[in-house]
Amino acid sequence: MHKSLLVFTFGFFCGLNLYSQSQEYNLSEEDRLYTKVENVKILTTRGEMLSLSQMYVREPFVLALVFTRCIGVCSPLISNFKEKISELNPKEKFKILVVSFDTADTKADLDNYAKLFNLNQNENWVFATTGQIPELIESVGFHPEWDSSRRQFEHDALLVGINGNGYIVKKLIGIRNIRAVESMIKEISNEFVISYPLPHNNSILSCFTYDPITGKKKPKFGLFLLLVPAIGTVILLVIISRQKKKKISENY
Amino acid sequence: MNISLKRITSTWIITILLLFFTAIILGITMRFNQGKVISIDDGKFYGIMTTHGMTMIAIWAVAGMVGVHYLLSRYINVGAGLSKFAFIMTVIGVAMFYVTTFIGHFHAGWTFLYPLPFKNSFAWESWATPMFFWSLTVLGVGWLVWSVGLLVAIFKKYSFSQTFAWQHLTKKDPEVQTPPLVLISAISLVGIVLCLLTAVVILVLSFAEIYSDGKFVNDPLLMKNLIYFFGHTIANESLYLGLGIVYELMPEISGRPKFKTTWYVALGWNFTLLFVLTAYFHHLYMDFVQPLGLQMFGQFASYFASIPSAVVTIISIIVLLYGHRIKWTITNLLFFIGITGWIIGGVGALIDSTISNNIFLHNTLWVPAHFHTYNALGNVLLILGFFTWVANEFSGSQTDPMRKLKLALLIIGGFGFVLMFYCGGAESVPRRYSVYPAEFTRAALFASAAAWFAIIYLLGMSLIFVDIFKKCIRVYSSSHSDSSVA
Ligand code: HEM
Repeated sequence: MHKSLLVFTFGFFCGLNLYSQSQEYNLSEEDRLYTKVENVKILTTRGEMLSLSQMYVREPFVLALVFTRCIGVCSPLISNFKEKISELNPKEKFKILVVSFDTADTKADLDNYAKLFNLNQNENWVFATTGQIPELIESVGFHPEWDSSRRQFEHDALLVGINGNGYIVKKLIGIRNIRAVESMIKEISNEFVISYPLPHNNSILSCFTYDPITGKKKPKFGLFLLLVPAIGTVILLVIISRQKKKKISENY
Repeated sequence: MNISLKRITSTWIITILLLFFTAIILGITMRFNQGKVISIDDGKFYGIMTTHGMTMIAIWAVAGMVGVHYLLSRYINVGAGLSKFAFIMTVIGVAMFYVTTFIGHFHAGWTFLYPLPFKNSFAWESWATPMFFWSLTVLGVGWLVWSVGLLVAIFKKYSFSQTFAWQHLTKKDPEVQTPPLVLISAISLVGIVLCLLTAVVILVLSFAEIYSDGKFVNDPLLMKNLIYFFGHTIANESLYLGLGIVYELMPEISGRPKFKTTWYVALGWNFTLLFVLTAYFHHLYMDFVQPLGLQMFGQFASYFASIPSAVVTIISIIVLLYGHRIKWTITNLLFFIGITGWIIGGVGALIDSTISNNIFLHNTLWVPAHFHTYNALGNVLLILGFFTWVANEFSGSQTDPMRKLKLALLIIGGFGFVLMFYCGGAESVPRRYSVYPAEFTRAALFASAAAWFAIIYLLGMSLIFVDIFKKCIRVYSSSHSDSSVA
């Protein structure tokens, strides 16, 4: 009897899962997070041969992966990032390393590319090629695909934040707003980055809310739910303490 | 004493010790994995961690309830029915929980922090999350009925103010005296009822999310507040139940007069009820959206929740023992070491609850260090003290073979085990890592050393367990309703 009851209960709960939703969670910006970037050698447009570790021990950097023949997202990625940086004018010291993931790109191509954005004289921007493209892109979780008909790579617009120990601490996919760029700069500089999941449309009960623009925190009515158990307990105690008492015996 | 109560108490004790034994083996497995002595995959590691944490919290909460239920029957009229009902619900709940972790591979940790249990599309079976919450529902119903039932029985005899010993605050020798066991049990039971009602809110919100097919989504901060209120408070209240047992039995076993409730005992414990409920804010120091006032309140509530009860207990124990010839048995020795472990762990907790330290210690091994100290070397020993005492009552035998060896194994194994956590914490080794990053050069060494110490602890525990088991099973063959079997 008990056994069949247990089997039934188990079967019932298993059945219920048909109704439970399965939420997809986009992990691509978390892929390879907190792992080390491959210590590849790069050749900068200024003619220096450097390893990435030589770069990050000096200063953290943001890595942008591009190819110069790109007719898609590479140029908007660089120009937008440049714009955001000048808007922010951050006090933190860091470099922006733009590396080509196309074997066809040469040092001269990258030099021209830098000139296109007027960044060839900018000390904070480093444009480079590397002979170790597969190792580099694998280590940051970047997966471009060659489309031979268009003679273009299909790829994400990716910025990778690398801190002073060579760890990937933030990834941004796509052209992002100024807050995201700011938080990446703080993250690579080991500063505290406050983050808060934005209220979901369907989330009607929260206890405190935070406005990332104004930095203001406000109590919300979900706070009341924290008081419900306490109120419930007090009511319960009042009810049960009103029962008829038995006489206290002498043993104590 | 009612034979039915003795039998259900004995059944609880054997079940708790069997589960404890299993959960320690799971703990040792985790430490060996962190020490790179064995290698298990991450999913399995976190399944083990969830099972270990939940089992430990559950069994030591109910163990305290078993103890106070048994001893309260000296003062109030409380039968075995409540305990039997809770036992059946606990067995069903624990079985359902094990199905979720061992078959469904659920591994969101015993704190099941939102939204982790809901992000399950790749980590565990989709039925495991709802079943996990259903297992909590079954456990919660069993314990809520039990706690409310005990409170009802207390209030049948004592008025509201007598239960909380308020008459002791104004009069030196009031007409109605509240025994310390009744006071501490009531304080703890009120806290437990509050935790369980909070669990009801958590469950309702979780089921709403599960069964609304994404139409209703929870707020992470609200859920974190609720879950830590529940988790932190229930873990602390379990400890207070253990202390209630010590107040009742320590003088009796040591051949000294019973403890009486004094104004400072009453005040200390009433303070504890008030502050333990708000101390949980210290788990949310990293949540910047939580208002600063609450964070600061959390720090002071942590001090006020622990210091009064600790000071009062230490003074009471010193007054009891100092300058008197004490008859030491395994029971009062376990109580004594348990109080020491509770205080050492408590100091570790206070260090961590201080905001300026928490910045460094948050989510490092310092956290399992202090809570294992006041559990494995605190509450567990207090309750084991009760188990050894009650087993003697059941069997009528006072034999206590290999006492020194048992205690030596527990002390060396137990303190060695927690020391390795403290060393890890002091070196900022993060908690809840199945394998430590290479940067923490000594973390694996600490972990494997801890596993060996835990084996020593387990040996001591096994010797005590065998003795308790042999004595407890005698109660089933007895038909006496009074006194011991022999
Ligand atoms: C000698 C016995 C024990 C051993 C070997 C052991 C081992 C462990 C280990 C290795 C962890 C994971 C630590 C981490 O890396 O974060 C852990 C977590 C935990 N342990 Fe124990 N433990 C023991 C006794 C206890 C006792 C007596 C209790 C409670 C009464 C307890 C409650 C917990 C809890 C609540 C967690 C946290 C689980 C989570 O984070 O979800 N343990 N234990």
